[in-house]
Amino acid sequence: MTEEFHLPSYREQSPKVSARFKKLYERRIKMEIKGLSKTFQTSKGTTTALNKIDFSIHHREFVSVLGPSGCGKSTLIRILAGLDFPTGGEVLLEGKPVTGPGSDRGMVFQGYTLFPWLTVKKNVMFGLELSGRSGSAVESEARSWINIVGLSGFEDSYPSQLSGGMKQRVAIARSLANNPSILFMDEPFGALDAQTRAQMQSYLLQIWKNVDVTIMFVTHDLDEAIYLSDRILVLKANPGEVNEVIEVPVPRPRSPEQFITPEFLATRQRLEELIHPKGAIEEKELPVVRMVSAEDEVE
Amino acid sequence: MSIEKPWFAIRKPLSPQRQTLLTLCSFLLPIAVWCVVSYVPFIWHPDMVVTISADRSDVTTVYSVGDRLPRDKESENDFVFEDFVEAVRVQNESVLEAREANDPLVTTSRTNKKVLRHLAPVGIAEGWLTRDQATDDAAIYQLWGDIATGERVPTSVPLSEENKEIVAENWAILSGISETYESKKIPKEALRTLVPQGKPSNPVFVPPPHEVVATGWYDWTHQRDPSKPSMPERYVHSLKIVFGGFLLSCLIGIPLGILGGTYDFFAKLIEPFTDFFRYMPAPAFSTVLVAILSVYDAPKIGLVFLGTFFQMVLVLSNTTKMLDRSLLEAAQTLGAKSRHLMFRVIVPGILPKLYNDLRILLGWSWTWLVIAELIGTKSGLTEFIETQGRFRNFDSVYPSIIVIGLTGYITDQILASLRPVFFSWDPEHSGKKPLWIFRGFFWLVDQDCYDRTTPERKPLISQ
Ligand SMILES: Nc1ncnc2c1ncn2[C@@H]1O[C@H](COP(=O)(O)OP(=O)(O)OP(=O)(O)O)[C@@H](O)[C@H]1O
Ligand SMILES: [Mg+2]
Repeated sequence: MTEEFHLPSYREQSPKVSARFKKLYERRIKMEIKGLSKTFQTSKGTTTALNKIDFSIHHREFVSVLGPSGCGKSTLIRILAGLDFPTGGEVLLEGKPVTGPGSDRGMVFQGYTLFPWLTVKKNVMFGLELSGRSGSAVESEARSWINIVGLSGFEDSYPSQLSGGMKQRVAIARSLANNPSILFMDEPFGALDAQTRAQMQSYLLQIWKNVDVTIMFVTHDLDEAIYLSDRILVLKANPGEVNEVIEVPVPRPRSPEQFITPEFLATRQRLEELIHPKGAIEEKELPVVRMVSAEDEVE
Repeated sequence: MSIEKPWFAIRKPLSPQRQTLLTLCSFLLPIAVWCVVSYVPFIWHPDMVVTISADRSDVTTVYSVGDRLPRDKESENDFVFEDFVEAVRVQNESVLEAREANDPLVTTSRTNKKVLRHLAPVGIAEGWLTRDQATDDAAIYQLWGDIATGERVPTSVPLSEENKEIVAENWAILSGISETYESKKIPKEALRTLVPQGKPSNPVFVPPPHEVVATGWYDWTHQRDPSKPSMPERYVHSLKIVFGGFLLSCLIGIPLGILGGTYDFFAKLIEPFTDFFRYMPAPAFSTVLVAILSVYDAPKIGLVFLGTFFQMVLVLSNTTKMLDRSLLEAAQTLGAKSRHLMFRVIVPGILPKLYNDLRILLGWSWTWLVIAELIGTKSGLTEFIETQGRFRNFDSVYPSIIVIGLTGYITDQILASLRPVFFSWDPEHSGKKPLWIFRGFFWLVDQDCYDRTTPERKPLISQ
């Protein structure tokens, strides 16, 4: 892999990309995270899940949160959605502090969390009906969202009749139908197979392009983070702190072919360094040795 | 070619045919055991049931036809069937001895009429006499003649050789005076009484199936005593008590259970006392209930309520707590407020489990029925079971017990098979179809319930 040595720095941006970032930072700040901390009291003592996180998300931005398992990604996103409360700092949504969950912030969970007793259509209509609207307008709106996520024909199916990818698309449609100004997604594609996952990623990019929404996306898949996001918020564990914020130098529109472009590989290499620092994964000699005959040797 | 699958495979379901077969067997096997015990003579049968009885002059104990005596002596003091027979033989012996000594014993014609009447059960068993004719001396007199002359030969209760001899001998004496019955012309000379006969039988509490079915059919289709309620009336009365208590319990228990499972406030307020109260046996409160609610049905319904309610609150509270919390969070991020969460997420979310819980709790209610019907004024099926049991009419007792069991079982089976109709969305039912009788109904509710569209991915249509 001699080529790797010629990789550009992940900080190097083509003029087009840096112009894009300039424009992005000019947009208004959608969500501001100021000195956010969270500690959990458990029977074994206190765990600091998050420690003084500062970050701002701009309007129409796609931000990914990346980090090793247990670094507090879910905790962060739950606090932003108002499902959990910080023990320090504050979160501002368009200047106003977040005090609890609300329909202005959508959330897509890893475990789908569709209402199993409602059909696909009724699931999508759930938030719309809560806001007091009803009738054929709501129904046709739900239909169009189902259409957008590519599930027309399944309006009257129950969630138990859908595959994992389809369920997650319903969950996305359900959140988007509510017209949230920001959408949080906590490892939404984590349970999907590689193929479905790739497909869902391109659906998501298209939806984001066509729908006026800002997205914060938790993942632990490096490629996914690079492929989807404008910026990547890399956290480190124990305590959960901001490690680095990376501006993805890969130009938009994105396509799967870009997975092997130099910018992509450079970003990927940097993420590898951050997430798996040298020496973190040492090649350990397995303690078990079973005699293998010479002609069966595999390496 | 299909591979023959084994009948015994660890945690593998059997084919539907085999399942049905085994379900049938699980009912047929106990019935078969009952039949074998009842109808195969050399299995068990520890008693003798009296088919021909006799009076003894020395003791007052009277065994009438249908009574049971043990067959084998287990201890010195046991009085077994053979002892009875032997005692009568000794008594007959003295009649013969006196007669041979030309000094026949003299008795009253009333006693002799009684002796003659002991043949009546034979005539009744053969259908020659009606039940009412058991004391019809004229008809019985005729019967003695018919059997003695061989005109009629009993087959249901065949006479033993010694009894045939006694019949012939007594008829000789009787016919010497009169061929037909005349009250005045019954001899005063002591007659030999018939020697008791019997057949092996099971104890009275194990009546054979055919008797149970016949008696059950009779009891449920005829009214024995017009002053008492008929069986269907009793049945409806019992149903009212069970369902009355259960529905009352549901009315209060379901809301309390759901509140307890939703709000910690209610959980902490309600559950500790409920948990304590359920250990106090409901029947212990029966006199209190009668004192508070007076007689008739109120205390009975109250007892079923007491027995069901506290369990219900705890079970339903627990079920509510089991609802996936992330569904509530999802609803909140969609803008749901507390009242929405209750009626749009919690209630519909727990319904299928709640339905199953209520099925189990209904079964619980049935177990309180008997005690409930015994308190205050006895009523319903239990009163019948109690009374008949006291008279040892177990062939009347069992049908009523079985009816209670069947009602509970069938109700539960119907509710179980209706579950997929109500909760077709529940993944537990995917592929399961309700009983054929409910499918029509199912179709009315949800016409798409059977086409399980194979999930296929559709291209994204962008706006
Ligand atoms: N309810 C809780 N009570 C106590 N500790 C908690 C709680 N929730 C999270 N934690 C702790 O906070 C830390 C961060 O957890 P979190 O679930 O946010 O991690 P994560 O980054 O989402 O991990 P993963 O990638 O595995 O999902 C962990 O150390 C965890 O043990
Ligand atoms: Mg997580």
